Amino acid sequence: MGDPDSPYKIRSDSGEVIESRFQPKAGKVLSEKKWRAAFDKQGRLDISKVLVRIQGGGVDPSIREEVWEFLLGCFAPDSTYVERATLRKSRREEYFQIKAECQKLDPAVGSGTVVTLPRVGENGPVNDIGRESDELPRSIVSLIQQDSRQKENNTTPLSSRGMDDEQTSHRAQFDFSNRVTAGETQNDEDARRVAAGNSTQENKVLEWKTTLHQIGLDVVRTDRSLEFYEKPSNLAKLWDILAIYSWLDPDIGYCQGMSDLCSPMVVLFHNEADAFWCFERLMHRLRENFRCTDQAVGVQKQLANLGLVLQVIDPKLYKHLDELGGGSFIFAFRMLMVLFRREFSFSDSLYLWEIMWALEFDPDEGHPSDVRGKQPVIHVSRHPIRDGWILRRGRTLYKWGKFERQNIKYGEGDAHEIPIVVFCAASIFESQRLRLQGAVGLDEVLKILNDVTGKLDAKKACKEALKLHKKYLLKAASMGGRRH
Amino acid sequence: MATRKRTLLKVIILGDSGVGKTSLMNQFVNKKFSNQYKATIGADFLTKEVQVEDRLVTMQIWDTAGQERFQSLGVAFYRGADCCVLVYDVNLLKSFESLSNWRDEFLVQASPSDPENFPFMVLGNKVDIDGGNSRVVSEKRAKTWCASKGDIPYFETSAKDDLNVDVAFQCIAKNALKNETDEEIYLPDTIDFSSGSTHTSSSCSC
Repeated sequence: MGDPDSPYKIRSDSGEVIESRFQPKAGKVLSEKKWRAAFDKQGRLDISKVLVRIQGGGVDPSIREEVWEFLLGCFAPDSTYVERATLRKSRREEYFQIKAECQKLDPAVGSGTVVTLPRVGENGPVNDIGRESDELPRSIVSLIQQDSRQKENNTTPLSSRGMDDEQTSHRAQFDFSNRVTAGETQNDEDARRVAAGNSTQENKVLEWKTTLHQIGLDVVRTDRSLEFYEKPSNLAKLWDILAIYSWLDPDIGYCQGMSDLCSPMVVLFHNEADAFWCFERLMHRLRENFRCTDQAVGVQKQLANLGLVLQVIDPKLYKHLDELGGGSFIFAFRMLMVLFRREFSFSDSLYLWEIMWALEFDPDEGHPSDVRGKQPVIHVSRHPIRDGWILRRGRTLYKWGKFERQNIKYGEGDAHEIPIVVFCAASIFESQRLRLQGAVGLDEVLKILNDVTGKLDAKKACKEALKLHKKYLLKAASMGGRRH
Repeated sequence: MATRKRTLLKVIILGDSGVGKTSLMNQFVNKKFSNQYKATIGADFLTKEVQVEDRLVTMQIWDTAGQERFQSLGVAFYRGADCCVLVYDVNLLKSFESLSNWRDEFLVQASPSDPENFPFMVLGNKVDIDGGNSRVVSEKRAKTWCASKGDIPYFETSAKDDLNVDVAFQCIAKNALKNETDEEIYLPDTIDFSSGSTHTSSSCSC
């Protein structure tokens, strides 16, 4: 199995780096052999054969790339080798086509450089690379100020992604390509929009350009202790992917924290397009956290959920934190925003992520339905009415991760909307409850939570999270029952 | 709770992304500089004991995320601040031009009881870069701006070379203390951080 950290070598000149604690154990970790054995001749994966391993011991780094594509829903487990190869090919083409579009808008994309200086300045667009013809006309620069204010009213819901959880990645791609050539569809409403039209597109370009240097400023500060990022071309890859993502998802654009989430994909995947689509799937789950308005940052919804969970499982601790003025749980902001990347070493956070994703695994979530022609899933509400669940109770359920199974078994109402990462955060609060109970100020609370950095065990955190999740669901159900 | 007299000064560092807020804080508190800092997510703080004239005070320095879109989080972090440090990069015009916005936003979100006299400080950082040849904001221009905003003290710093960092923070402590003493008379030590709403009593100063 070798040194688990070897793919993610730390620079010798790096200063203080969080030490890795996670020890993958033979017989526990998902090995390459076990992984290969879970596929049939056509390449269909029996996910139930591997979920148990991942949940209990993580994934061997040598096969991480492949496994993550399934965990994140890039591919359906019951797709075949041939189907996946076709899909991969079309996705790569798609990505490089979008990249070329972006390159036309800003020649820095794909140039191997990282932009850290503003591309749009007070005297018009700044273009340090490339041809004059790539510059925007001066006239639209004055729109910057209005544009940022109008953004919320103006943006048309270009993406149906995010409205429909069962939306597939392949469909999402088509959404994407539509968006690249925005405003060119035939229906009347769109035609009207085109008339108003070009300026919206120009605004979009301008808005995008103003975020490019922010991406760069973060890229040069992301995981720099890794040898991998000593190579400028790898930094450029990270920058390109984030720049292209922010172009495709203008509602979210780029927000600090996203570079922390994208970096592991760049390290893991040899092919840039594959890294992009994996990141896109991750953002599909997390993008709402990054939606910012003048009033709030999206992740605050999950912070409120954290409060809700603690209120149910540990009312005493919740009351104490609330009385200190911490009811908003803002001190857990970073944990949820970057999925504990800062509390764990690089290597350990990858174990944490894959264990969380395995626990949350839902075979109907995210992957392309056009491959298998699947029926849409009726979402779990009060009663578990998932496709086939009642009829095939037992065996079929092993296709779901443990966390999802608990949601199906015990979940009521909106229980399934709280992701596991919230319960991981709750488990950290619980592990520190004595100290937290003694805290007399919010600054002390933050200090206590910061102190856990580098001392956490990924597997244990998930195990505890699972326990708390069950406790929460059972308690919430009984509380709900009493109310009726 | 212990009744010993402990003065806690809460200092908030604001400014555009990448101007060196984390570096300045770390240079002052830990006497260290690294090229490998990560972008700050949310907010974080470090504390350091400093001697101001004959008093020993604890400075609690809050480092914040620089991307503008996080400004709505300000309310949560700025509450109870005794001084606000505005940082820009002397090599980057935009970061200087943002100072007004950071200052205004701070005053709105922190809503200090006496905004006119609330202590600010401006630091022009990264003066070491390229031996000063790449700077685009002159000292004069920065000082003029500071003067126009009610004589904000100004320092030029290099977190990398540890230039003026101590001096600047010493001055920050001194100014924050001036502001803090008023409040301290009326506030019991133990509730200094517990809740923003208990601060109402401090406005009555006679």
